[in-house]
Amino acid sequence: MQTIKLKLKSEVTSGVAKIPVEVDSLTPDKLFGKTEAEIKAVQVWWGNKEENTGDLFDVSVDGTAGSADDVKIVLDGDLSRVKRIGDGMKAGEIEANGDVDMHCGAMMAGGKITVRGNADCWAGREMHGGDLVIDGDAAANLCAMYRGEMTGMTGGKVTVGGNADECVGQYMGGGEIVIKGNARMLAGLNMHGGKIVIEGDAVMPGADMTSGEITVKGTVQDMMPSFKLEGTESIDGAEYKKYSGDLAMTARKAKGTLYVK
Amino acid sequence: MVEVTDVVCSLCGCVCDDITVEVEDNKVTKVKRGACSVGKSKLMGHNRIKSPAIRVNGELKDCSYDEAIKKAAEILAASRRPLLYGWSSTVCEADKVGVELAEELGAVIDNTASVCHGPSVLAIQDVGLPSCTLGEVKNRADVIIYWGANPAEAHANHMKRYSYVSKGFWTEEGKKAKKLVVVDVRATKTTKMADVFLQIEQGKDYLVLSALRAILYGHADVVPDEVGGVSKKDLLETAEMMKGAKFGATFFGMGVTHTGARQNNIVNAIQMTRAAHTHTKFTITPMRGHYNVAGINQVCTWETGFPFAVDLTRGYAWYNPGELSATDLLIRQECDAALVIASDPGAHFPGESIKHLAKVPVIQIDPFPNPTTEFADVVFPAAVSGVEAEGNVYRMDNIPIRLRKLIDSEYPEDEEILKRILDEVRAIKEKESN
Amino acid sequence: MAEVLIKNGVVYDPLNGVKGEKKDICIRDGKVVAEVKNPKVIDAEGRVVMPGGVDIHSHIAGGKVNSGRLFRPEDGRKGLEAKTKVCRMQSGYSVPNTFAIGYRYAKMGYTFVMEAAMPPLAARHTHEEMVDTPILDNAALPLLDNNWMTMEYVNGGDIDLLAAYVAWIMKATKGFGVKIVNPGGTEMWGWGKNCSLNDTVPTFNVTPAEIIKGLGEANEKLEMPHSIHVHTNMLGHPGNFEITKETYDLVKGVNTVKDRQVMHTTHTQFHSYGGTNWGDFESKADEIAGYINQNDHATIDIGSVILGDTTTMTADGPMEYNLYQITGRKWTNHDVELETGSGITPFLYSGKSPVNTIQWAIGVELALLVEDPWKIALTTDHPNAGPFIGYPILISMLMSKKRRDESSADMHKVIYDKALLPSIDREYSLYEIAIITRGMTAKALGLHEHGKGHLGVGADGDVAIYDMSPEETDAGKIQKAFLNTKYTIKGGQIVVKDGEVVATPDGKTYFVTPECDDKLTDEMMVKLKDKFDRYYSVTLNNYPVQDAYVPNPYEIKTQMRG
Repeated sequence: MQTIKLKLKSEVTSGVAKIPVEVDSLTPDKLFGKTEAEIKAVQVWWGNKEENTGDLFDVSVDGTAGSADDVKIVLDGDLSRVKRIGDGMKAGEIEANGDVDMHCGAMMAGGKITVRGNADCWAGREMHGGDLVIDGDAAANLCAMYRGEMTGMTGGKVTVGGNADECVGQYMGGGEIVIKGNARMLAGLNMHGGKIVIEGDAVMPGADMTSGEITVKGTVQDMMPSFKLEGTESIDGAEYKKYSGDLAMTARKAKGTLYVK
Repeated sequence: MVEVTDVVCSLCGCVCDDITVEVEDNKVTKVKRGACSVGKSKLMGHNRIKSPAIRVNGELKDCSYDEAIKKAAEILAASRRPLLYGWSSTVCEADKVGVELAEELGAVIDNTASVCHGPSVLAIQDVGLPSCTLGEVKNRADVIIYWGANPAEAHANHMKRYSYVSKGFWTEEGKKAKKLVVVDVRATKTTKMADVFLQIEQGKDYLVLSALRAILYGHADVVPDEVGGVSKKDLLETAEMMKGAKFGATFFGMGVTHTGARQNNIVNAIQMTRAAHTHTKFTITPMRGHYNVAGINQVCTWETGFPFAVDLTRGYAWYNPGELSATDLLIRQECDAALVIASDPGAHFPGESIKHLAKVPVIQIDPFPNPTTEFADVVFPAAVSGVEAEGNVYRMDNIPIRLRKLIDSEYPEDEEILKRILDEVRAIKEKESN
Repeated sequence: MAEVLIKNGVVYDPLNGVKGEKKDICIRDGKVVAEVKNPKVIDAEGRVVMPGGVDIHSHIAGGKVNSGRLFRPEDGRKGLEAKTKVCRMQSGYSVPNTFAIGYRYAKMGYTFVMEAAMPPLAARHTHEEMVDTPILDNAALPLLDNNWMTMEYVNGGDIDLLAAYVAWIMKATKGFGVKIVNPGGTEMWGWGKNCSLNDTVPTFNVTPAEIIKGLGEANEKLEMPHSIHVHTNMLGHPGNFEITKETYDLVKGVNTVKDRQVMHTTHTQFHSYGGTNWGDFESKADEIAGYINQNDHATIDIGSVILGDTTTMTADGPMEYNLYQITGRKWTNHDVELETGSGITPFLYSGKSPVNTIQWAIGVELALLVEDPWKIALTTDHPNAGPFIGYPILISMLMSKKRRDESSADMHKVIYDKALLPSIDREYSLYEIAIITRGMTAKALGLHEHGKGHLGVGADGDVAIYDMSPEETDAGKIQKAFLNTKYTIKGGQIVVKDGEVVATPDGKTYFVTPECDDKLTDEMMVKLKDKFDRYYSVTLNNYPVQDAYVPNPYEIKTQMRG
């Protein structure tokens, strides 16, 4: 097991402008096999200039790893302007201690990311494998598609301890999302596979869904007027209304399932 | 005195091109025909920025163009995250230089679409846009829907020239043989003209649109008795009117792009058009605001691949509205310098983003002083496109039209100012790399 | 200006009958000359040398191309390349940005591309993008067939007045030739309908067949460099091959003084379909090729499929609507008042699909079954059947039966049943490749008289040097060589070296200005003025493309025959 500690230096975020650092080059699979000196020399984008990781982060390496699976990266400091944490990561583990900026876990294929705070927009965008755990809230477009794409998340599991903003799992094709709190409008928009569980409340869930399953355990505000009530079902001892939809996509395509209390 | 015909208006997205003006002593003295009152005032000209200026100790001090260009280039070349914003009220020739400057700097380039029809662009990227030119509507449309738009006040010539009131080849009887549906949260001058006015609850457009789609696809049975403040009876009547159209045209405005589900309202409106298209011909068109906001989207798209909110940090384009739109960037306090051209974030942006803009160096290029001037650090007066300078613009239906030059200007054109800044930035970078 | 001498190359210059001869090419002031005195010497060392490629049909600039880019950021993100000291940024795969279009074509050795469809009302847009496309010389074909003026003149049998209108449109749009796309069908799409070759278009009381014939006659009266360029009715419909053949017959009797076809039909793959529905769909490439073999008045380009995701776009609005109905994907439509329309929708050509498999076979079959390569051009109808960047794949398939057999084995098994490809043995020579990518295309466009598509004295100094020996038979190596040249030379300037763009000069825009009798023009203008006064949404005076949009003009003048 190897632990790579990266602590963002305070001067990076102390200016008038809070210019984001983009760390897609700092994933366990990309850092595996590198010495401390080599890690310090890995280039990261800070605004329109590329900088040495060692110039922006305090770096320390502890232990050794036999594969990327054994590499754990621990991010500390003010991470609210650190974008693309674990972007495209395939293996290993990242622990981010604090609120993280956009695209955390985007395109993630494997491994685990734990965010001990809130995650900004597009966490888990187009994710296809691995685990993403966000202790706090997730901002909009969690596990959504990239602009123009017809597929968002296709695999893996995402757990949000707090609330999620708009468009959770937009164009989701597979995998699982659990929101412990509430989800704002249009969770599961255009969903065509996979499963979303919202333990709190939701607004207009399931719009334009063509397949997949959404369960809302709290209350639904603004139920879509284009879903068909199919009957009731009991899940974990509670009674749910089962709807099919979205008929606004035509009957041929309306193969989504929405469970509402 | 000279009379100039076929003058093109550089105010709103209608880009009316049949205006007649009188010019005397290098001044537009009279707007005789064709322009609405707002367009008229633009053509007649008003208060101008008089001289290039640089802010020193809190005060703008007049300077030469050379000095201002040097200062602007220094600010931009030193910036780690510059924002180049505006571009919708100037011509495509200037927009092209803007993209090149952004590329040279590794800047974020964004235009006013991000605060007006950006959501429409996002919707188009989701489902496309079945649309047509405005002349098609004029010649064919017998059912017209304005959704969240108030053309009678915001695009004064729109109905007269292109839609409800106009007369064309198959629509010689004008409005007598047409139906007008208006959807809005409140009564306006436009709703008063409507055959059907659907007054919906604020923020409920999305639900109403989904209900109409379900009805158009034959699933009225699942639709509840009332949706978003509209009765099922009215929805059924509207759907029947749409199905009975020979040619239906929907226009939508900011009332629906910026409330409730925002871009997803537009996705839904386009989906409704697709549903209507299974019965008859139907089209949908955004009511674009600035005269060349369509144009900067076009230029930015063919040059970078993407229409707005483009980050050129890495030398290629990363596109992501919501992350890179000017307002997002400013609220997040990301940028450390800005160039603002032909627009006024000082008046139109949310307070939080203006607060950050006021803290960083700002370069402004504009013919007219506006609230942005009050905190700009370098100011360039420019010629007025469409009055003092010619150039290409795109109408709201993406028809390219060339603005005419009516009088000479004592000020340089936007394109020239930008080219000089770009040259100076390159000179600074050249020096740094040696 | 500097002189260039290309030594030791093996030259394929079909318009001059040069079939793989070791031959020096001399260039001075951008033109091929007999000899040079103090040249920069490029040693081609036995490599293949051809004139710069001439693409007869590609959608590279204008409203619908840009709508394709705008609504497909997911395509834009596929081809991202950072700017360099020489090159601007690049994006896109099936809908690349203008810079990428110039660079990628130049890297394949192409120096001229014809934008295949320009809506007259939006002509400025097409020109703005062409000007922003580096390196390539270009031209555009204005759409004239669903135009109300055209239909009214055809209805009245006024071919002279029609010619006067065509002449006016060429000048007003700075256009190059007459484009016809689903004649009548796009007008009917204004009401959500479509029509076939002999249906009557309501209100205008003409048939598509009459429109095609009328425009064909008007085109020859104006002695245009190019023939009419036709996208026939019923594109993409099973069983459409008979309509395609019937369309060829329409202009069989039309005379021309030019040494070329009187009709070029484009992306013929989409028009060579048998069967009655997608279930019994089959290739009729043999029927189409048979017709072309027996007749001399028509040429075709293949519009061959490149497997993978692409963006379809055409002025054939109803066709795009049908395609979107099949896929359910995003769909943009843009009808243009009094003139034309357009539709755009993404499409995935999959080797697992029986229909796509047959489509994939048909384009290549056409190229192999048409005996005379001077009657056929290599295209993918970029980006409709696939992006132009797939040309090297097609070249390698035409040159290698082995490559075709290997590829067929990966396709749906229907290929052995409903397509002809596996049974065809013919392999193209490099000379024939040079014909279908430059010689034939330049001649069919009439551009050989203006220095394109050949390397005779006086020709443009546009040369492609491919990094392969003339004896190469390995399909993979052929494909690689045609994707990235050793050198591309444009107007005597090296623009690509070792597969990298090293210079980006501006290209020229070619356009035709036909002159005709003033009285005829005056009479035509009365009708046209009425159209602007009553039905257009812009004024007549704001319609013509100003000179500012064509900063590097190449004007070709013609005179109407009495």
